[in-house]
Amino acid sequence: MASVLRPAAISRQTCSLVSNRTALLQQASRTRFSETLRTSYLLRESRCLSTTQRKSPSRIPSNDPVAAPFHTSARRQILPPGPQVIEGGVNDPAPVPPTSPTHGSYHWVFERAMSAALIPLTIAPFAAGSLNPVMDALLCAGIIIHSHIGFQSSIIDYVPDKRLPKTRAFFWWALRAATVVVAIGFFEFETNDVGLTEAIKKIWTAKRKEDSYVEPVLRGVA
Amino acid sequence: MISQRFTQISARRVFAQRSISLTSTRFSAPALITACKPLTQSRPAATQTVPEDEAYSILKAQRAVRPVSPHLTIYQTQIPWTLSALNRITGIILSGGFYVFGAAYLVSPLLGWHLESSALAASFAELPTAVKLLLKFGVALPFTYHSWNGMRHLVWDSGRQFSNKMVVRSGQVVIGLTVVSSGALAVYGL
Repeated sequence: MASVLRPAAISRQTCSLVSNRTALLQQASRTRFSETLRTSYLLRESRCLSTTQRKSPSRIPSNDPVAAPFHTSARRQILPPGPQVIEGGVNDPAPVPPTSPTHGSYHWVFERAMSAALIPLTIAPFAAGSLNPVMDALLCAGIIIHSHIGFQSSIIDYVPDKRLPKTRAFFWWALRAATVVVAIGFFEFETNDVGLTEAIKKIWTAKRKEDSYVEPVLRGVA
Repeated sequence: MISQRFTQISARRVFAQRSISLTSTRFSAPALITACKPLTQSRPAATQTVPEDEAYSILKAQRAVRPVSPHLTIYQTQIPWTLSALNRITGIILSGGFYVFGAAYLVSPLLGWHLESSALAASFAELPTAVKLLLKFGVALPFTYHSWNGMRHLVWDSGRQFSNKMVVRSGQVVIGLTVVSSGALAVYGL
Protein backbone atom coordinates (compact mmCIF):
# COMPACT_ATOMS: atom_id res chain seq x y z
CA MET A 1 0.00 0.00 0.00
CA ALA A 2 3.01 2.25 -0.05
CA SER A 3 2.29 3.48 -3.56
CA VAL A 4 -1.00 5.12 -2.55
CA LEU A 5 -0.73 8.90 -2.33
CA ARG A 6 -2.38 10.78 0.46
CA PRO A 7 -3.99 13.85 -1.11
CA ALA A 8 -4.94 15.36 2.24
CA ALA A 9 -1.34 15.59 3.34
CA ILE A 10 -0.23 17.15 0.09
CA SER A 11 -3.07 19.66 -0.01
CA ARG A 12 -2.24 20.77 3.50
CA GLN A 13 1.30 21.39 2.40
CA THR A 14 0.34 23.30 -0.74
CA CYS A 15 -2.35 25.42 0.91
CA SER A 16 0.01 26.87 3.45
CA LEU A 17 1.87 28.92 0.85
CA VAL A 18 -0.17 30.16 -2.03
CA SER A 19 2.40 32.59 -3.41
CA ASN A 20 4.89 30.00 -4.62
CA ARG A 21 2.27 27.37 -5.05
CA THR A 22 3.28 26.13 -8.48
CA ALA A 23 6.89 25.65 -7.47
CA LEU A 24 5.83 23.74 -4.42
CA LEU A 25 3.44 21.66 -6.43
CA GLN A 26 6.18 20.60 -8.78
CA GLN A 27 8.50 19.82 -5.93
CA ALA A 28 5.85 17.91 -4.03
CA SER A 29 4.90 15.79 -6.99
CA ARG A 30 8.54 15.08 -7.72
CA THR A 31 9.33 13.95 -4.21
CA ARG A 32 6.14 11.96 -3.91
CA PHE A 33 6.79 10.20 -7.17
CA SER A 34 10.33 9.24 -6.34
CA GLU A 35 9.24 8.13 -2.88
CA THR A 36 6.57 5.95 -4.41
CA LEU A 37 9.05 4.35 -6.72
CA ARG A 38 11.57 3.78 -4.01
CA THR A 39 9.13 2.22 -1.58
CA SER A 40 7.63 -0.04 -4.20
CA TYR A 41 11.08 -1.27 -5.16
CA LEU A 42 11.86 -1.82 -1.53
CA LEU A 43 8.67 -3.82 -1.13
CA ARG A 44 9.52 -5.98 -4.08
CA GLU A 45 13.11 -6.43 -3.05
CA SER A 46 12.70 -7.13 0.63
CA ARG A 47 9.77 -9.54 0.14
CA CYS A 48 8.64 -8.49 3.59
CA LEU A 49 7.68 -5.29 5.33
CA SER A 50 9.89 -5.73 8.38
CA THR A 51 12.52 -2.99 8.47
CA THR A 52 15.29 -5.32 9.58
CA GLN A 53 15.08 -7.31 6.35
CA ARG A 54 15.21 -4.36 3.98
CA LYS A 55 17.98 -4.38 1.44
CA SER A 56 19.41 -1.52 -0.49
CA PRO A 57 17.60 -0.54 -3.71
CA SER A 58 20.79 -1.07 -5.68
CA ARG A 59 20.17 -4.80 -5.69
CA ILE A 60 17.06 -4.51 -7.82
CA PRO A 61 17.17 -6.98 -10.72
CA SER A 62 17.30 -5.10 -13.98
CA ASN A 63 14.70 -7.23 -15.76
CA ASP A 64 12.02 -6.51 -13.17
CA PRO A 65 8.61 -5.75 -14.68
CA VAL A 66 7.53 -2.12 -14.66
CA ALA A 67 4.32 -2.73 -12.76
CA ALA A 68 4.80 -2.45 -9.00
CA PRO A 69 3.34 -5.08 -6.68
CA PHE A 70 0.58 -3.99 -4.33
CA HIS A 71 0.88 -7.10 -2.24
CA THR A 72 3.18 -7.22 0.72
CA SER A 73 3.08 -10.98 1.26
CA ALA A 74 6.07 -13.08 0.30
CA ARG A 75 6.55 -14.21 -3.29
CA ARG A 76 7.46 -17.86 -3.54
CA GLN A 77 8.33 -18.91 -7.04
CA ILE A 78 7.48 -22.57 -7.48
CA LEU A 79 6.15 -21.90 -10.93
CA PRO A 80 6.07 -18.48 -12.56
CA PRO A 81 2.51 -17.26 -13.05
CA GLY A 82 1.27 -18.10 -16.51
CA PRO A 83 0.14 -15.49 -19.02
CA GLN A 84 -2.71 -13.46 -17.56
CA VAL A 85 -6.03 -13.31 -19.37
CA ILE A 86 -8.69 -10.89 -18.13
CA GLU A 87 -12.20 -11.47 -19.39
CA GLY A 88 -14.83 -8.76 -18.98
CA GLY A 89 -14.87 -5.89 -16.49
CA VAL A 90 -15.13 -5.77 -12.73
CA ASN A 91 -18.93 -5.78 -12.79
CA ASP A 92 -19.35 -8.71 -15.16
CA PRO A 93 -20.32 -11.95 -13.44
CA ALA A 94 -18.21 -15.06 -13.94
CA PRO A 95 -19.55 -16.88 -17.00
CA VAL A 96 -21.54 -20.01 -16.17
CA PRO A 97 -20.84 -22.83 -18.62
CA PRO A 98 -23.87 -24.38 -20.29
CA THR A 99 -25.18 -27.37 -18.33
CA SER A 100 -24.67 -30.76 -19.91
CA PRO A 101 -25.17 -34.10 -18.12
CA THR A 102 -22.76 -35.70 -20.60
CA HIS A 103 -19.98 -33.58 -19.09
CA GLY A 104 -21.51 -33.59 -15.62
CA SER A 105 -23.45 -36.28 -13.82
CA TYR A 106 -23.29 -38.98 -16.53
CA HIS A 107 -19.53 -38.47 -16.80
CA TRP A 108 -19.15 -38.64 -13.03
CA VAL A 109 -21.17 -41.87 -12.81
CA PHE A 110 -19.24 -43.36 -15.75
CA GLU A 111 -15.90 -42.57 -14.07
CA ARG A 112 -17.02 -44.29 -10.86
CA ALA A 113 -18.48 -47.24 -12.75
CA MET A 114 -15.15 -47.73 -14.55
CA SER A 115 -13.23 -47.57 -11.27
CA ALA A 116 -15.62 -49.99 -9.57
CA ALA A 117 -15.51 -52.41 -12.53
CA LEU A 118 -11.74 -52.66 -12.17
CA ILE A 119 -12.04 -54.06 -8.62
CA PRO A 120 -13.39 -57.55 -9.51
CA LEU A 121 -11.15 -57.68 -12.61
CA THR A 122 -8.14 -56.99 -10.35
CA ILE A 123 -9.11 -59.40 -7.57
CA ALA A 124 -10.04 -62.34 -9.85
CA PRO A 125 -6.50 -63.15 -11.07
CA PHE A 126 -5.23 -63.18 -7.46
CA ALA A 127 -7.83 -65.86 -6.73
CA ALA A 128 -7.67 -67.83 -10.00
CA GLY A 129 -4.00 -67.37 -10.99
CA SER A 130 -4.79 -65.49 -14.21
CA LEU A 131 -7.74 -64.43 -16.34
CA ASN A 132 -9.25 -66.08 -19.40
CA PRO A 133 -8.63 -64.14 -22.63
CA VAL A 134 -11.97 -62.31 -22.68
CA MET A 135 -11.71 -61.13 -19.08
CA ASP A 136 -8.06 -60.23 -19.64
CA ALA A 137 -8.99 -58.10 -22.67
CA LEU A 138 -11.73 -56.45 -20.59
CA LEU A 139 -9.19 -55.68 -17.87
CA CYS A 140 -6.84 -54.10 -20.43
CA ALA A 141 -9.66 -52.01 -21.94
CA GLY A 142 -10.82 -50.96 -18.46
CA ILE A 143 -7.32 -49.89 -17.42
CA ILE A 144 -6.90 -47.90 -20.66
CA ILE A 145 -10.22 -46.07 -20.21
CA HIS A 146 -9.52 -45.45 -16.50
CA SER A 147 -6.04 -44.13 -17.35
CA HIS A 148 -7.37 -41.94 -20.13
CA ILE A 149 -9.93 -40.35 -17.79
CA GLY A 150 -7.25 -39.90 -15.13
CA PHE A 151 -4.84 -38.22 -17.55
CA GLN A 152 -7.68 -36.01 -18.82
CA SER A 153 -8.40 -34.85 -15.27
CA SER A 154 -4.73 -34.10 -14.71
CA ILE A 155 -4.49 -32.04 -17.91
CA ILE A 156 -7.66 -30.13 -17.01
CA ASP A 157 -6.26 -29.41 -13.55
CA TYR A 158 -2.73 -28.37 -14.50
CA VAL A 159 -3.02 -26.83 -17.99
CA PRO A 160 -5.67 -24.10 -17.77
CA ASP A 161 -7.55 -23.68 -21.04
CA LYS A 162 -8.08 -19.95 -20.56
CA ARG A 163 -4.42 -19.06 -20.05
CA LEU A 164 -2.66 -21.65 -22.16
CA PRO A 165 -5.09 -22.64 -24.94
CA LYS A 166 -2.36 -23.90 -27.29
CA THR A 167 -0.59 -25.97 -24.63
CA ARG A 168 -3.93 -27.41 -23.55
CA ALA A 169 -4.81 -28.37 -27.13
CA PHE A 170 -1.37 -29.96 -27.55
CA PHE A 171 -1.67 -32.10 -24.42
CA TRP A 172 -5.28 -32.97 -25.19
CA TRP A 173 -4.49 -34.32 -28.65
CA ALA A 174 -1.23 -35.91 -27.53
CA LEU A 175 -3.21 -37.85 -24.90
CA ARG A 176 -5.75 -39.01 -27.49
CA ALA A 177 -2.99 -40.15 -29.83
CA ALA A 178 -1.18 -41.92 -26.99
CA THR A 179 -4.36 -43.71 -25.91
CA VAL A 180 -4.98 -44.97 -29.44
CA VAL A 181 -1.36 -46.13 -29.77
CA VAL A 182 -1.47 -47.89 -26.40
CA ALA A 183 -4.81 -49.52 -27.21
CA ILE A 184 -3.38 -50.93 -30.44
CA GLY A 185 -0.26 -52.01 -28.56
CA PHE A 186 -2.27 -53.96 -26.00
CA PHE A 187 -4.46 -55.45 -28.74
CA GLU A 188 -1.23 -56.79 -30.24
CA PHE A 189 -0.02 -57.96 -26.83
CA GLU A 190 -3.30 -59.74 -26.07
CA THR A 191 -3.37 -61.33 -29.52
CA ASN A 192 0.25 -62.48 -29.77
CA ASP A 193 1.32 -62.96 -26.15
CA VAL A 194 -0.01 -64.80 -23.10
CA GLY A 195 -2.23 -61.98 -21.80
CA LEU A 196 -1.64 -59.27 -19.22
CA THR A 197 -2.35 -61.17 -16.00
CA GLU A 198 -0.48 -64.28 -17.12
CA ALA A 199 2.48 -62.17 -18.24
CA ILE A 200 2.63 -60.32 -14.91
CA LYS A 201 2.46 -63.65 -13.08
CA LYS A 202 5.27 -65.06 -15.22
CA ILE A 203 7.54 -62.08 -14.64
CA TRP A 204 6.63 -61.71 -10.96
CA THR A 205 7.48 -65.32 -10.12
CA ALA A 206 10.41 -65.65 -12.55
CA LYS A 207 13.26 -67.66 -11.05
CA ARG A 208 16.78 -68.35 -12.22
CA LYS A 209 17.17 -71.60 -14.16
CA GLU A 210 19.96 -73.00 -11.95
CA ASP A 211 17.82 -72.29 -8.87
CA SER A 212 15.11 -74.63 -10.09
CA TYR A 213 17.82 -77.15 -10.97
CA VAL A 214 19.73 -76.93 -7.67
CA GLU A 215 16.67 -77.19 -5.47
CA PRO A 216 15.75 -80.85 -6.03
CA VAL A 217 19.39 -81.90 -5.62
CA LEU A 218 19.66 -80.13 -2.26
CA ARG A 219 16.35 -81.60 -1.19
CA GLY A 220 17.62 -85.03 -2.14
CA VAL A 221 20.82 -84.58 -0.11
CA ALA A 222 18.94 -83.37 2.95
CA MET B 1 -20.52 12.47 10.63
CA ILE B 2 -21.28 14.78 7.72
CA SER B 3 -21.52 17.86 9.92
CA GLN B 4 -18.22 16.97 11.61
CA ARG B 5 -16.54 16.57 8.27
CA PHE B 6 -17.93 19.87 7.07
CA THR B 7 -16.62 21.65 10.15
CA GLN B 8 -13.24 20.08 9.64
CA ILE B 9 -13.06 21.26 6.04
CA SER B 10 -14.12 24.77 7.03
CA ALA B 11 -11.53 24.88 9.79
CA ARG B 12 -8.84 23.76 7.38
CA ARG B 13 -9.72 26.48 4.91
CA VAL B 14 -9.68 29.08 7.63
CA PHE B 15 -6.30 27.89 8.79
CA ALA B 16 -4.99 28.10 5.25
CA GLN B 17 -6.32 31.63 4.80
CA ARG B 18 -5.01 32.88 8.15
CA SER B 19 -1.38 32.70 7.14
CA ILE B 20 -1.82 34.99 4.14
CA SER B 21 -4.46 37.45 5.31
CA LEU B 22 -5.32 38.95 8.66
CA THR B 23 -8.97 39.43 7.71
CA SER B 24 -9.84 36.21 9.44
CA THR B 25 -10.03 37.91 12.80
CA ARG B 26 -12.96 40.01 11.67
CA PHE B 27 -15.25 37.23 10.50
CA SER B 28 -16.56 33.96 11.83
CA ALA B 29 -15.54 30.90 9.85
CA PRO B 30 -18.54 30.54 7.45
CA ALA B 31 -18.55 34.25 6.71
CA LEU B 32 -14.84 34.19 6.01
CA ILE B 33 -15.24 31.39 3.49
CA THR B 34 -18.04 33.27 1.75
CA ALA B 35 -16.04 36.50 1.71
CA CYS B 36 -12.79 35.12 0.43
CA LYS B 37 -12.04 33.61 -2.93
CA PRO B 38 -12.81 29.92 -2.60
CA LEU B 39 -9.64 27.88 -2.22
CA THR B 40 -10.18 24.54 -3.88
CA GLN B 41 -8.14 21.51 -2.95
CA SER B 42 -5.48 20.63 -5.45
CA ARG B 43 -4.19 17.15 -6.12
CA PRO B 44 -0.64 17.17 -7.43
CA ALA B 45 -0.75 13.51 -8.45
CA ALA B 46 -1.28 13.79 -12.17
CA THR B 47 -3.77 11.48 -13.79
CA GLN B 48 -3.94 10.61 -17.42
CA THR B 49 -6.40 8.71 -19.54
CA VAL B 50 -5.03 5.40 -20.68
CA PRO B 51 -6.36 3.69 -23.80
CA GLU B 52 -8.11 0.40 -23.20
CA ASP B 53 -5.41 -1.74 -24.80
CA GLU B 54 -2.71 -0.17 -22.69
CA ALA B 55 -4.82 -0.48 -19.53
CA TYR B 56 -5.25 -4.18 -20.31
CA SER B 57 -1.53 -4.74 -20.69
CA ILE B 58 -0.80 -2.81 -17.47
CA LEU B 59 -3.35 -4.93 -15.61
CA LYS B 60 -1.88 -8.11 -17.07
CA ALA B 61 1.63 -7.07 -16.02
CA GLN B 62 0.33 -6.18 -12.56
CA ARG B 63 -1.34 -9.55 -12.18
CA ALA B 64 1.81 -11.37 -13.24
CA VAL B 65 3.72 -9.94 -10.24
CA ARG B 66 1.11 -11.01 -7.70
CA PRO B 67 2.29 -13.62 -5.23
CA VAL B 68 1.64 -17.18 -6.36
CA SER B 69 -0.77 -18.73 -3.93
CA PRO B 70 -1.39 -21.14 -2.38
CA HIS B 71 1.96 -22.81 -1.96
CA LEU B 72 2.00 -26.37 -0.67
CA THR B 73 4.56 -25.65 2.03
CA ILE B 74 2.22 -23.23 3.81
CA TYR B 75 -0.04 -26.12 4.78
CA GLN B 76 0.45 -28.42 7.71
CA THR B 77 1.10 -31.98 6.54
CA GLN B 78 -2.16 -33.81 7.13
CA ILE B 79 -3.55 -37.17 6.07
CA PRO B 80 -6.48 -35.99 3.89
CA TRP B 81 -4.59 -33.83 1.39
CA THR B 82 -1.36 -35.84 1.43
CA LEU B 83 -3.13 -39.07 0.58
CA SER B 84 -5.21 -37.29 -2.05
CA ALA B 85 -2.06 -36.02 -3.76
CA LEU B 86 -0.46 -39.47 -3.48
CA ASN B 87 -3.54 -40.99 -5.10
CA ARG B 88 -2.99 -38.91 -8.20
CA ILE B 89 0.80 -39.39 -8.18
CA THR B 90 0.54 -43.19 -7.89
CA GLY B 91 -2.19 -43.21 -10.54
CA ILE B 92 0.02 -41.29 -12.94
CA ILE B 93 2.97 -43.62 -12.20
CA LEU B 94 0.87 -46.74 -12.86
CA SER B 95 -0.92 -45.40 -15.94
CA GLY B 96 2.29 -43.87 -17.24
CA GLY B 97 4.07 -47.22 -16.94
CA PHE B 98 1.14 -48.96 -18.58
CA TYR B 99 1.13 -46.48 -21.47
CA VAL B 100 4.91 -46.67 -21.92
CA PHE B 101 4.80 -50.46 -22.06
CA GLY B 102 1.85 -50.54 -24.49
CA ALA B 103 3.46 -48.06 -26.88
CA ALA B 104 6.88 -49.71 -26.58
CA TYR B 105 5.37 -53.14 -27.29
CA LEU B 106 3.74 -51.77 -30.45
CA VAL B 107 7.00 -50.34 -31.83
CA SER B 108 9.29 -53.10 -30.51
CA PRO B 109 9.32 -55.14 -33.77
CA LEU B 110 10.44 -52.05 -35.67
CA LEU B 111 13.27 -51.31 -33.25
CA GLY B 112 14.27 -54.88 -32.56
CA TRP B 113 13.38 -54.83 -28.84
CA HIS B 114 12.28 -58.01 -27.14
CA LEU B 115 9.33 -57.17 -24.96
CA GLU B 116 7.57 -60.52 -25.14
CA SER B 117 6.56 -61.83 -21.72
CA SER B 118 8.93 -64.82 -21.96
CA ALA B 119 11.92 -62.58 -22.79
CA LEU B 120 11.03 -60.16 -20.00
CA ALA B 121 10.58 -62.99 -17.50
CA ALA B 122 13.91 -64.54 -18.50
CA SER B 123 15.82 -61.26 -18.11
CA PHE B 124 14.02 -60.46 -14.85
CA ALA B 125 14.95 -63.84 -13.45
CA GLU B 126 18.66 -63.11 -13.97
CA LEU B 127 18.59 -60.04 -11.71
CA PRO B 128 20.02 -60.21 -8.17
CA THR B 129 17.42 -60.89 -5.49
CA ALA B 130 17.77 -57.47 -3.87
CA VAL B 131 17.14 -55.72 -7.20
CA LYS B 132 14.17 -57.99 -7.88
CA LEU B 133 12.75 -57.20 -4.47
CA LEU B 134 13.22 -53.46 -4.99
CA LEU B 135 11.67 -53.49 -8.47
CA LYS B 136 8.71 -55.54 -7.32
CA PHE B 137 8.20 -53.34 -4.29
CA GLY B 138 8.42 -50.26 -6.53
CA VAL B 139 5.58 -51.58 -8.68
CA ALA B 140 3.53 -53.10 -5.86
CA LEU B 141 3.57 -49.98 -3.67
CA PRO B 142 1.77 -47.61 -6.09
CA PHE B 143 -0.51 -50.43 -7.26
CA THR B 144 -1.70 -51.41 -3.78
CA TYR B 145 -1.92 -47.81 -2.60
CA HIS B 146 -3.98 -46.70 -5.59
CA SER B 147 -6.23 -49.75 -5.26
CA TRP B 148 -6.96 -49.33 -1.54
CA ASN B 149 -7.30 -45.58 -1.75
CA GLY B 150 -9.48 -45.91 -4.85
CA MET B 151 -11.87 -48.07 -2.83
CA ARG B 152 -11.80 -45.44 -0.10
CA HIS B 153 -12.79 -42.84 -2.68
CA LEU B 154 -15.62 -45.04 -3.98
CA VAL B 155 -16.96 -45.38 -0.43
CA TRP B 156 -16.98 -41.58 -0.16
CA ASP B 157 -18.69 -41.30 -3.54
CA SER B 158 -21.50 -43.45 -2.21
CA GLY B 159 -21.94 -40.81 0.52
CA ARG B 160 -20.49 -42.76 3.46
CA GLN B 161 -17.61 -42.31 5.91
CA PHE B 162 -17.07 -38.71 4.94
CA SER B 163 -16.65 -37.08 8.36
CA ASN B 164 -13.29 -35.51 9.18
CA LYS B 165 -12.59 -38.15 11.78
CA MET B 166 -13.41 -41.05 9.47
CA VAL B 167 -11.40 -39.59 6.60
CA VAL B 168 -8.29 -39.56 8.80
CA ARG B 169 -8.99 -43.02 10.22
CA SER B 170 -9.64 -44.60 6.82
CA GLY B 171 -6.46 -42.93 5.60
CA GLN B 172 -4.50 -44.64 8.37
CA VAL B 173 -6.12 -47.94 7.43
CA VAL B 174 -5.13 -47.42 3.78
CA ILE B 175 -1.52 -46.68 4.75
CA GLY B 176 -1.40 -49.83 6.89
CA LEU B 177 -2.96 -52.02 4.21
CA THR B 178 -0.62 -50.58 1.57
CA VAL B 179 2.54 -51.30 3.56
CA VAL B 180 1.49 -54.85 4.43
CA SER B 181 0.12 -55.83 1.01
CA SER B 182 2.93 -54.28 -1.04
CA GLY B 183 5.50 -55.95 1.21
CA ALA B 184 3.76 -59.29 0.79
CA LEU B 185 3.53 -58.88 -2.99
CA ALA B 186 7.20 -57.93 -3.23
CA VAL B 187 8.26 -61.02 -1.30
CA TYR B 188 5.81 -63.30 -3.16
CA GLY B 189 7.42 -65.47 -5.83
CA LEU B 190 11.02 -64.54 -5.04
